[in-house]
Amino acid sequence: MAGEKQRTVKVIKEKRTISDEVKANIKHYNKMKKLIKEALKEGPKTIPEIARATELPAHEATYYVMSMRKYGDVVTGEIDDMDEYFYYHLNQKN
Amino acid sequence: MENEVLTYDALVVGGGIAGEETALNLAKMDYKVLLVEKELSIGGKMILLSKVFPTLDCAACITTPKVSETARHPNITIFTGSEVKGIEKKGERNFEARILRNPRYVKEDACTGCQECELVCPVVVKDQYQYNLVGRKAVFVPFSIANPRIAAIDIENCSLCGACEKACPSDAIDFTQEPEEKTYQFKSVVVATGYKLFDPIKMPRYGYGKYKNIVTSMQMERELAPTRPFNTVLRPGDGKMPDNLAYVLCTGSRDHTVGNPICSQVCCMYSIKQAQLLLGSLPMADVTIYYLHIRSFGKGFNEFYETAKGMGVEFVKGKIGKISEKENGNLVLRYDDIDTGQVKEAEHDMVVLSVGILANDEIGPVFKTQKLEFDDYRYVKQVDELKRPAMTNIDGVYVAGAASGPMDIPDSILSAGAASSEAASYLAEVE
Ligand code: SF4
Ligand code: SF4
Repeated sequence: MAGEKQRTVKVIKEKRTISDEVKANIKHYNKMKKLIKEALKEGPKTIPEIARATELPAHEATYYVMSMRKYGDVVTGEIDDMDEYFYYHLNQKN
Repeated sequence: MENEVLTYDALVVGGGIAGEETALNLAKMDYKVLLVEKELSIGGKMILLSKVFPTLDCAACITTPKVSETARHPNITIFTGSEVKGIEKKGERNFEARILRNPRYVKEDACTGCQECELVCPVVVKDQYQYNLVGRKAVFVPFSIANPRIAAIDIENCSLCGACEKACPSDAIDFTQEPEEKTYQFKSVVVATGYKLFDPIKMPRYGYGKYKNIVTSMQMERELAPTRPFNTVLRPGDGKMPDNLAYVLCTGSRDHTVGNPICSQVCCMYSIKQAQLLLGSLPMADVTIYYLHIRSFGKGFNEFYETAKGMGVEFVKGKIGKISEKENGNLVLRYDDIDTGQVKEAEHDMVVLSVGILANDEIGPVFKTQKLEFDDYRYVKQVDELKRPAMTNIDGVYVAGAASGPMDIPDSILSAGAASSEAASYLAEVE
């Protein structure tokens, strides 16, 4: 797909610097993704279960699981017996 | 740009439903229109809605054909991601406007919207088009039905890693793009800048922002839409499927304490609509609407309200004093029950704040030579509200849609009809 292309990113790199916030944000997302993937390796989990396993606040777990779902890392599975929480599992295709 | 047109008959500021309708009407009369939209897609807020009241038609099914007709019309030029910086009136049928086009860092004619770039981008930030319920990448197609459906780079959050450029099969990424500001000539101007939503963070007693299972009506709208952030309606606090939801009407409307004493006109009806949709997608759920008055004044609106009651939506005439959170994430609403005069409490597992709409007065400072007048609530002033509602205080400048006051979709379209016919007759006058 990628031949030797002209990389315009080099041009902008000479003009702009990347903020520490952007760097920290990437690191944080990767960490969250890794934690959640680790938790799901053992099998499908609901968000409260993911939150417990990763020690993340449940709302953050929701945000990251849903973002991972959007980009195909995670898929939605069945709902639990109480019809309250869905199980999420790793997308095997990835 | 080669052969770039710098002269148009009309400048339409704002690419929401009112701006599109105005532009289309003028274009069909053979006038050349430049439509300037600050967002990355046209379609305004309507393109983000689930369904519309009182017909429950799918919002996207109504918006997208109009959006594509606007985008395809040969007499309409559209600048997205762009801002009108200054408008000067030089004489009758003679306006000069400076327009800033922000770079997308993606070549519009090369991008196919394939989203390969998104997959490799390492940056995830909150997605403003999903009202922060989920993340998006630094390079992103705004939403699946966006028009144009092409990617853009959020340069402030980009790590300049170059992965997108490497991955793009169409060589569409272009970091050499720069902002471009140019002056254009127009014969008339239509302001269709729409409205802003009330930010409930300004009402700390409701706990929005602090309590994670309280969302705004626009967030719920996204949860209900086909292009939604989750797989279904879920509490953002813990991913639970809610079974007992409350709506708090008039959040930030008809309220002097937050500086917005007027009725937002749409909150009652969109809440009733959402309640009906919720009962459709969560059949076991209970939905309670806390209201002060239900204003169902439009055609078919009262029947729609009655339908909601018939479906089991509970209506409580009550003024919410305070919302607090329980350990399990449920919310306790303390309210004055207006019918009994008693203070009561009720528990719900999710709360939707039906936020009001506010004037978007950013267009004010854009007018340099002659000041555009606003009304007491910062909406564009209609100088002859009864007889010529699209007229502003500047001859040749007209107002369409919610830029002149709160209104629903059909009224915005009607208003755009008035604005385009006023603009057309102004354009047709012989000097
Ligand atoms: S920029 Fe390239 S990779 Fe991204 S959507 Fe456009 S064509 Fe696809
Ligand atoms: S250069 Fe920026 S937008 Fe492109 S992949 Fe890297 S972080 Fe994402």
